[in-house]
Amino acid sequence: MTVKHVFLAAFATFVAVSVTTAGPGSGTISGKITYEGTPAKPKSIDMSKEPSCAKQHPTPITTETVVTGPGNSLANVVVYISAGAPDEPPPSTSANFDQKGCQYLPHVLAFQVGQELKISNDDQTSHNIHPLAKINREWNKSQPPGTPPIIDKYDKAEMIPVKCNIHPWMHGTFAVLKNSHYSVSSDDGSFKLPNLPPGKYTVTAYQESYGEMTQDVVIAGGETKTISFVFKAKPY
Amino acid sequence: MFTGGSVTATQRLVRIVPSILGLIMFVAIGLADIHPAAAAPILSGARVNAIPAFARKYGMPCSSCHLAWPMLSPFGQAFKDNGYQMGNDRDAPIFQNPAYWPVTFRMTTFFHRENENRAQVDGPAGVSSNEGNYTAHGFDWSGLDFHTGGTLAKNVSFYVLPSSDNTGAFHFETVFARLDNLAGSSWLNLKLGKFELDNLLSEKRILTLTNVSGVYTNYHFQPATESLGPLGAFPGFAFGIGDNQVGMELMGHSKDDRTRYSASILSSNDGSPGLPTSRTYDGFFTVSQAFQVGSLGLQRIGFFDYIGQAPTYFQFTNGSPNDATAGLPGTGIGNKSFYRAGLIGQFYIKKYDLTAMYFHSSDNKYLATGTAADGIAVLPAGARSAIWNGALFESHFTYNPQLILIQRVELVRMSQQALPVVAGSGPFVLGSSTTVPTSDFGNQDVYTFGFRYYPFISSRAGFAYHTEYAFSHQIGTSPVTGRNLDFSSLLVGFDFAF
Amino acid sequence: MRKMNISKLFMFVAILLAAPLLVSAQQGESHIGNLSGNAGAGKQLYYRYCWGCHGFRGDGNGENAQYLNILPRNFVAATFKCRSTPTGTLPTDQDLYNSLVRGFNNSNMPSWITLTDQNRADLVAFIKTFSPRWKTDKAGDVIPVPAEAPLTVQSIKHGQELFQKLECWKCHGPEGRGDGPSASTLTDSNDQPIRPYNFAAGSRFKCGSTNHDLYKIFMTGLDGTPMPSFADVIKPEDAWDLVHYLRTLQVTHKSPELALWLTTKEGQEIVSAQKIYGTPTGSGIKQ
Repeated sequence: MTVKHVFLAAFATFVAVSVTTAGPGSGTISGKITYEGTPAKPKSIDMSKEPSCAKQHPTPITTETVVTGPGNSLANVVVYISAGAPDEPPPSTSANFDQKGCQYLPHVLAFQVGQELKISNDDQTSHNIHPLAKINREWNKSQPPGTPPIIDKYDKAEMIPVKCNIHPWMHGTFAVLKNSHYSVSSDDGSFKLPNLPPGKYTVTAYQESYGEMTQDVVIAGGETKTISFVFKAKPY
Repeated sequence: MFTGGSVTATQRLVRIVPSILGLIMFVAIGLADIHPAAAAPILSGARVNAIPAFARKYGMPCSSCHLAWPMLSPFGQAFKDNGYQMGNDRDAPIFQNPAYWPVTFRMTTFFHRENENRAQVDGPAGVSSNEGNYTAHGFDWSGLDFHTGGTLAKNVSFYVLPSSDNTGAFHFETVFARLDNLAGSSWLNLKLGKFELDNLLSEKRILTLTNVSGVYTNYHFQPATESLGPLGAFPGFAFGIGDNQVGMELMGHSKDDRTRYSASILSSNDGSPGLPTSRTYDGFFTVSQAFQVGSLGLQRIGFFDYIGQAPTYFQFTNGSPNDATAGLPGTGIGNKSFYRAGLIGQFYIKKYDLTAMYFHSSDNKYLATGTAADGIAVLPAGARSAIWNGALFESHFTYNPQLILIQRVELVRMSQQALPVVAGSGPFVLGSSTTVPTSDFGNQDVYTFGFRYYPFISSRAGFAYHTEYAFSHQIGTSPVTGRNLDFSSLLVGFDFAF
Repeated sequence: MRKMNISKLFMFVAILLAAPLLVSAQQGESHIGNLSGNAGAGKQLYYRYCWGCHGFRGDGNGENAQYLNILPRNFVAATFKCRSTPTGTLPTDQDLYNSLVRGFNNSNMPSWITLTDQNRADLVAFIKTFSPRWKTDKAGDVIPVPAEAPLTVQSIKHGQELFQKLECWKCHGPEGRGDGPSASTLTDSNDQPIRPYNFAAGSRFKCGSTNHDLYKIFMTGLDGTPMPSFADVIKPEDAWDLVHYLRTLQVTHKSPELALWLTTKEGQEIVSAQKIYGTPTGSGIKQ
């Protein structure tokens, strides 16, 4: 390594450090997702056609298109900054999507454009992974048990429904997002978007059955703004 | 409206009126609530329920199968040759909506103007003793065509076409069933019934509609000597190769329809039901081959030959022993032969296409002079077979599926008159024993120009704005004086199918 | 006829003028062997032959799409079933050209063999103008199809094992009759019901009829349908074994594979127990 290289490396480190220190701010948007009205009742899934999965669920699992919690809270809602934040390069970590017990874990997987997506099959049965992309390319691959994970990435931001045609109850969502400011609401409906620099943001909440809602939020400094989204539940 | 004699002010007006009407109709079309294909997705509120049968069955626009309806495109020809089947499992009727009704109506409403320069009229010497120029014009309508066809089961197809004249009197123009792809081969298809001969240039799909050019002159030409010969023509012999005939046809084609043949055996040559005259069988054979020529398109050349016999009198007359034209149905005898042969070329040069045909035809001397071969009637002195040649050049410029320009020239030239010829012997009058025909007697030229504009293209209904002018000139056939006979016909109208 | 309506007249004229411009702004070419297709020429053919189903804008929403139970291809989405390229990639020009030659047996798409080679190349060039993907993406790398492995009883039996192991039967059924446990639930990417292929009643496949075509079908997958790609899962040498076995499921279609299979006792028992019902693709059954 020459002196020049050392210098360049040092410069690069400096730039990197200054970018990271200048990038994230100390503002936070947090809140809770709830619904009003009557949501569809989760249906119990009959996995009898797939015994190797059925036996993993002593109590049959239920559909996850709408997952509710106490106090009308809604889980599995993707909350993200849809405008106001710059596009960011992908992180080096991979987003992991597992198939276990004929279920997608997690049901909603949020990750960034260009980020490595790693899909594994932990079951004793074949799955086919069929993300129904419209903006990105649609593909459909078989993944029998014991085969290595499928590695892929997406080039464009999109909410992509994912299904396994062999096991029709298996549904999930890939939320491909442009920046790292996102959160998937937890079982109590809460979410948190930390490290926001001052600015005006559009916050979008996306629920796979109910669609999306947006709110504009202004972050002045190191404050925490609390907002809430209330989805109108449909009983079907 | 009829006028005789010289050109009058009224006639001049009559010549202007059609063009004015044409202009008005053209403008009206532009303003009418008709959307071009381009607008369909935007203005798709209206839905037409009546639908040309095949277009709806397969969900394709008319333009798929028709270069300009009713004329077929190569794709449409292949569909027809395959027994109205696409060759996929959507063909059999069981896959169709139960409400599907395989019927298409076609009619035409129009304004037309007809002119004949030497019509037979009454004169000082008595009834029909003179000739006069007459013009008729006005609004009119065509007969109704009632097309129904399709498949009864996989590889069993049918077509029935009751057709009326403009008074509403119906006849069956086409009635056949066909076994398609026998032994799984596209080379064997058997058709039985009344059908159009497998002419590559189909007269039933002709793009012109006037009285002069609504049929191909070459397809129907018969020497003028036979219509008014010494005995009068036997009623069974009014033959046109463009007419539908009764019989059986074996036809075959390659999968891509580049190679085609058909061979028919026919028990009549006038297409009439109930065996009114004939007890003979005629044969028709045609073969053609198409070639791809780079970006120009398909080029096709072919050959056809019709060899037939027609009776000249009845074995059993029907109460009038001296009238050879009235007899017991089915007992026509004294068969005499005739043939029609030709070559055809169809050439596509991108948007321009040309069909060129050469015809060579002959009628036996008995047929050509209208003489019964019953051993009683006597042939005119020096009678011999009539032989003639014909040419047809039809070209189209298909600007797009909505607009087609049409041009056609037909020529017929006698090469041997049935009666002895004396050059320059003056006007020949049929039936007169004192005059003889010139060698060019009966030669005919027909010129046609027109265009069809389809303001919208859909798979639901077809509509064309049709404008056409046709002119025919024939040597020496005026009825009284044996001078040249000219016809002209102009038609402006709406041709529609649904 | 209605009274003249000025705004309608303007619209009429504007559409007439604008329509060709909209399309001619996108020009393209296709290359199939020695043939070069031209989108301009293809456009004229498209608006003669294709738009009734595929739509004026190529979105598969033609005036007759509503009557079809296998929807016309949406060229704007540019997802194609019959490819020689990996799942999720664009097909080659040759793939599209082959589909025009062949047609789709189970759908309303006929064979366009009566057009000239040049016509088809022109059409391929034109349908590629409907989606911007043809500008940003290249066609995928063709999945190589190695020379066919020798046909042996072992090969058929190994294919049979693969059919079990890869769980092809989940959809196609244990006897390949398109009646597997998941068969009735399948939908394509437009949420239209779709049936898995019934080998027992069929001789042709959606994307061809040869062993080579069959190899490509399961290696590439049929994008837009539940049929996934097995390219990452099946080794090329195993793939021919699966092809050989799948042929023996087509008991109504005479093939060397079936003939060989029938020479074995096991094969004979299986084939004679096979029941044939329905059509190859279950078409005609409103689901």
